[in-house]
Amino acid sequence: MDFELSEEQVELCRSVRSVLERECPVSLVRQIVEAGSLPDQPWRSAGELGWAAIAVPERLGGLGQGFQELGLVVEEHGRALAPGPFLASATQFLPLVLEAGTPEQQERFAAPVAAGERTGALAVAGPSGRSLALDDSLRARRDGAGWILEGSRHFVLDGDTADEVALAARVEEGDGVGLFAVPREALKTERIVGLDASRPLAHLTCPALAVGPERALGSPGRSAPALARALEAAVVALSLEMVGTCQRLLELSVEHAKQREQFDAPIGSFQAVQHKCTDMFTAVEKARATAWFAMMAIGEDDPRRSLAASMAKASAGACQRRVAKEAIQIHGGTGFTWECDVQLFVKRAKTGEALLGTAAEHRARIARQLGL
Amino acid sequence: MRLQYDAETEAFRRELRAWIAANQPDVEEMRRDPSTSSAHMPLWAREWQRRLFDAGWLVPGWPPALGGRNATSVQQLVYFEEMDQAVARRSYNPQGLSIILPSLRDFASPELQERFVLPTLRAEIAWCLGMSEPGAGSDLAGLSTRAELTDDHFVVRGQKVWTSGAHFSDWCFCFVRTDPKARKHRGISVLVIDMKTPGIRVRPMAELTDKDHADFNEVFFDDVRVPRENLVGELNDGWAMATGSLAHERGMLWIHLVTRLEGMLESVARVARRPDGRGGRIGDDARFRDGYAAFYVDVQALRFMGYRGFAKFARGQVSPEHSVLKLVGSELEQGLALLALEALGAEGLDVDFHSRSHYDEFAEYPWARQYLRSFGQTIAGGTSEIQRNIVAQRVLGLPRR
Repeated sequence: MDFELSEEQVELCRSVRSVLERECPVSLVRQIVEAGSLPDQPWRSAGELGWAAIAVPERLGGLGQGFQELGLVVEEHGRALAPGPFLASATQFLPLVLEAGTPEQQERFAAPVAAGERTGALAVAGPSGRSLALDDSLRARRDGAGWILEGSRHFVLDGDTADEVALAARVEEGDGVGLFAVPREALKTERIVGLDASRPLAHLTCPALAVGPERALGSPGRSAPALARALEAAVVALSLEMVGTCQRLLELSVEHAKQREQFDAPIGSFQAVQHKCTDMFTAVEKARATAWFAMMAIGEDDPRRSLAASMAKASAGACQRRVAKEAIQIHGGTGFTWECDVQLFVKRAKTGEALLGTAAEHRARIARQLGL
Repeated sequence: MRLQYDAETEAFRRELRAWIAANQPDVEEMRRDPSTSSAHMPLWAREWQRRLFDAGWLVPGWPPALGGRNATSVQQLVYFEEMDQAVARRSYNPQGLSIILPSLRDFASPELQERFVLPTLRAEIAWCLGMSEPGAGSDLAGLSTRAELTDDHFVVRGQKVWTSGAHFSDWCFCFVRTDPKARKHRGISVLVIDMKTPGIRVRPMAELTDKDHADFNEVFFDDVRVPRENLVGELNDGWAMATGSLAHERGMLWIHLVTRLEGMLESVARVARRPDGRGGRIGDDARFRDGYAAFYVDVQALRFMGYRGFAKFARGQVSPEHSVLKLVGSELEQGLALLALEALGAEGLDVDFHSRSHYDEFAEYPWARQYLRSFGQTIAGGTSEIQRNIVAQRVLGLPRR
């Protein structure tokens, strides 16, 4: 039992951080938010450096490392506010294909994404935005050897930019869950004007889309466990991203509190400000400890993985709530302006809270899992 | 990073569990003669600690000559986890074993160690810790109990307060001012004082929970003569022990806090199963469920933060986690007590059941009492405000005023 990073992991974090600091300064994120277009970087680096391939088995051209390493890379992405297809491709699409797909499907759909050649997305939520219980807004029915998909999926991260979309649909057999890998061009997409413009979300519609059997991942009607497991990984990754973003908000606030002087003293010397900073710090520490536990639970396939994932998301959600509020407050009037970077981080963290189950939804699930 | 313990550690755990099962005190005896203070060691408690010591299970991280077994840090972690699951606590004079003893080992002269280390380990003497004073609470270094050195004796004059277990203690590990002219952190020394010395008066102070229950005391020193050889460490160098002694075993003390909180969570889950008077259960209420889950997550977060702090501690790094753990844990305890009490409504007002002893290991405390007790958690051992200052200044590097 060991809750500390290995030397290799420390080195990994360091190298990811230095690449992202170089290639993904906040000014780049700001540019994206203001112009609305996504650059190739830092996704190209992610491909070249094998970040997307980290937790992918070697037989698929991956690096064959664990979920821990992937999680740490994600945390650094959150810290850098990195935009681009990394999160959806590496932590949503890939886990689903690896959990549900046959070896041939893994080769076909996962390998190119792991190599950084293609991108992926995962579509689960219904029109209400809820992801934790699959609704029937997207249905799949058998059509000869293939399937007909009809309906819609919503609030899909990178839904209108990813090359390949993994869709979760209701089927009329078995456990009711079918998973399908569909090229994005086959779908009608509608970009959402989102809170965080560097985190593109889209609604997807399939008007009676015919899909070949080779695109039905695994066995429709026996896919609920694979979906649940992939979502656990995705939830933990998103929590880690939120932790990274909140960590940066804490750092920005502490730096500001040290620099900014009022009444002839740095505001950080005032107890009221110090206590806010401490509360931000404890929130981040709690969220990170919980997310790291979940990261290990996924990596080691511990029986607590489902509970751990919900705990991580609940803790990260509570953390961003505290950290966002205090970060803007500590920055004062400046914090309320467009030109202050704090708003970018606040919006990213809040978006994370709302996706893949809110903190409150995960708490409800925890209460249920604990038999309350 | 790894969640699973290795096979060797699991073997250590099994050996300890088996030993505890075979050697723990008789539960009936514990009920008949409960410990009523942090320095009150009934016969069974002394015998239990002695058995632990003799078997090498009292301080497993220490060398065999001092009753240890050179346990590794992971083994010690497992040790504290297991001890917290046992019916009996490791010691019924926790400040003696966990704070004073390590300080004696680090700072006391060989003669003092000779006199006190083994008897303390064997539960032959009970200790209190003389720190806070009426004028020195959060500002501990402002203490003014004076010890004047005259030939071969110190003469001690002043007052301590919130001294846990003083009314049951044989000895006091006492912080005194020996140089009133020096800057306040510089003129402090530590004396071990025999509580039977003439001039010492102890007045127990009942807690707000119960007029008949007192663990802490006022201790008055009226020209108390203390032999010079009872000075611990160097003259005027006692402040290091105030910070050092509290840091002792902090690498592990959080385990007890987390275990207590997990026990509270289980109790609150029992509250959830009680009828809500509308044909359902208290636990059906969405707000209650949300609150419970939030506390559950935070308590687990505390455990994982403890593990992270421990990992640093085991690598010999300084870990700031302790202040954070104390701060978060005490506030969680208050929140959990409030959650249960408010969910129970008027039913929660009945405090007249189970044992009256605050140290009875078996009582399911009435929630109203837990609620009252929880107020002390954010005050004792450094208020939450002081903990927040410490984190802000020492961890985040914010400037002092």
